[in-house]
Amino acid sequence: MKKRGAFRRIFVLLTLTLAIVVGINACKARNEQQKTVIHFVTWKPNIPEVWDKIYEIFEKENPDIKIEKQIGPHSSTAFHDMLTQKLKNRSTDVDVFLMDVVWPAEFAASGWAMPLDRFFSPELKKEFLEGPLMANTYKGHIYGLPLFIDAGVLYYRKDLLQKYSLEPPETWDELVSVAQEIVEKERASGNKIYGYSGQFKQYEGLVCDMQEFILSNGGYILEPETNRVAIADPRAVQAVRFVRDNIIGKIAPRGVLTYQEPESLDLFVQGRAVFHRNWPYAWKVSNDPKKSRIAGKVGISVLPHFKGGRSFSTLGGWQVGISAYTPNPEAAWRFASFLASERVQKLIALMAGKAPTRKSLYRDKEILEKNPHFTKMKDVFLNAYPRPRSPLYPSISEVLQRYLSRAISDPDSDVDTLAKEAKEQIEKILSLTRK
Amino acid sequence: MTPARRERLFSVVLILPAFLFVLIFAFFPIVHSFWLSLHRIVLGLPGLGEPFVGAENYIELLNDRVALRAVKNTFLFVFVSTFFEILFGLLIALVIHERFKGRGIVRASVLVPWAVPTVVSSQMWRFIFNDKYGLINFLFFGGDVNAYRAWLADPVYAFVAIVVADVWKTSAFAALLILAGLQAIPEDLYEAAKVDGAGWWQRFFKITLPLLRPALLIALLFRTMDAFRVFDLVFVMTQGGPADSTNVLQFYGYKKIFAEGMMGYGSAVSVLVFLISFVVSMFYVRMIGKRMFR
Repeated sequence: MKKRGAFRRIFVLLTLTLAIVVGINACKARNEQQKTVIHFVTWKPNIPEVWDKIYEIFEKENPDIKIEKQIGPHSSTAFHDMLTQKLKNRSTDVDVFLMDVVWPAEFAASGWAMPLDRFFSPELKKEFLEGPLMANTYKGHIYGLPLFIDAGVLYYRKDLLQKYSLEPPETWDELVSVAQEIVEKERASGNKIYGYSGQFKQYEGLVCDMQEFILSNGGYILEPETNRVAIADPRAVQAVRFVRDNIIGKIAPRGVLTYQEPESLDLFVQGRAVFHRNWPYAWKVSNDPKKSRIAGKVGISVLPHFKGGRSFSTLGGWQVGISAYTPNPEAAWRFASFLASERVQKLIALMAGKAPTRKSLYRDKEILEKNPHFTKMKDVFLNAYPRPRSPLYPSISEVLQRYLSRAISDPDSDVDTLAKEAKEQIEKILSLTRK
Repeated sequence: MTPARRERLFSVVLILPAFLFVLIFAFFPIVHSFWLSLHRIVLGLPGLGEPFVGAENYIELLNDRVALRAVKNTFLFVFVSTFFEILFGLLIALVIHERFKGRGIVRASVLVPWAVPTVVSSQMWRFIFNDKYGLINFLFFGGDVNAYRAWLADPVYAFVAIVVADVWKTSAFAALLILAGLQAIPEDLYEAAKVDGAGWWQRFFKITLPLLRPALLIALLFRTMDAFRVFDLVFVMTQGGPADSTNVLQFYGYKKIFAEGMMGYGSAVSVLVFLISFVVSMFYVRMIGKRMFR
């Protein structure tokens, strides 16, 4: 008898709880019903305050839209794996997403990204820099709004160059000799310093760094216009050999073969490298006294080139895309175009030091005051060179990473043969796209 | 219903959940991977459709130098790492089998590496082998920073590094299995051997090792299967580099499917891993079966 009483009490309690939960959810649902929910797939930001502010402004101005964030991994490759998994399954919990600069072709060909031609007016296009716009275009249609750009730049120790009255180098040969001179003299006085630090691990960044060497020697990965694979041409091979013979284990420690951006920047901000190749964000970090031992001693310049060539930077950066499967294209466009708007880009430039994609912002006084190097580097951003554009870019990149890593990590590598192998493999991949 | 039939029905009911589990989570994915591996599926090119290509992916796989290198790396990793794991596992087991003060604490602490998630321990070993602030460099060269080596940038040392990390982590597991085997050996055998005047080495080789064989084989089976699946260590520590020296089959298959979107080809790699581990495990199971039930 007693037992049954206890059961009944539990039963009543459970029913009550259930009723309350259902009731609350019903109320919630009614409130949400008037709002369109936009699911935004983004990465974990370095400086979250900017993004909190962006969401806040948007939701205040668009009370009928609610932004539901989905935070993915910080690494571009891992983020790609997660996002494509969702798009492949035509998941409805993706409306708007961030895209790395090398993805639009793939996303367009797979039918994952929505063509934005009907929203993207010719006047609006004119406000953006051309390079990033090109990167978002595939077969004549546009698939993304450029949010910010990246381009490889050269950082150097202003103080050390002044100390030995040396000029920032214009050619790679000069860079090597300047680095050797400074390292020799500094080491004599006990400073354990290296000449160069960059990204040479077997990963996407290796392609970016090496493309800069190849282009600045007059070579190409894919020849423009013809799309011929030019990786085994003498000029491209020569540039790779230069890196193997003069940089890895010479002016740069062998450890750069395991470095991505953070590790290579570490070496520089610890004051242990004369030259450093990185993206524009490194300016803010290396001049932050809390994170850097060389704050205020940093110079920035265009990357060097080989004799007879000219300087090139690899184009990086992020875009805003809209899923082809979104049920709310209008609301999604409102959010996406807000993200790429002038004031949001300005906010990102001021608070996170990222380079904007809108031409007008390179004349903005406030931005230039906070990022004085933008004036000097504007041309670098304008002329940044994209990586090969193909829906199979991930496969092409894998082949390049493998080839480049093998070529530069073994001092006795047979670069010619390796380059020819890579060329054949890339041709095979490209032949798939022509089927 | 006769009691015999009822009993059969009852046994079917009892087996059913486990059977369904294996069917859904093991059998179906394997068959599905095999089916995918007979097609050309490229996620980036939906225009190609998903044509049936028969054995084309497998033929390509046999001519793919990177894949063959990965097969070689995987086998080398399996042999070297399981050898040391069983060796150290045996040593550890012999030590913690002895009675001594504080044995409980030693037994527990031996298991700590095994309890750490592999991703965490891989990250830890990546720090230990780091070229600028790694412990290994400090141990070898002390304050002489200029002598520091970039271990993970060297094809041979990078491979050694992932083997070391794996041995460190999983020897404890082997030790646990071997310890169970040790405890099953009756004490009086040793007593009798002692009475007959057998020394420690004689007792070890004539009693311990032969009676430990089943436990050793099981430890070997588990470790081999596990080593074939190595992925996380490579993913965290080297990403297959430098120059593919640590590229193993599972990592290669992952790259093909998730990074490149080559579903068909990547599935062929997965099926290859499955076939290899299947053959090896069949071999072990037969050996264990013979020893145990003779």
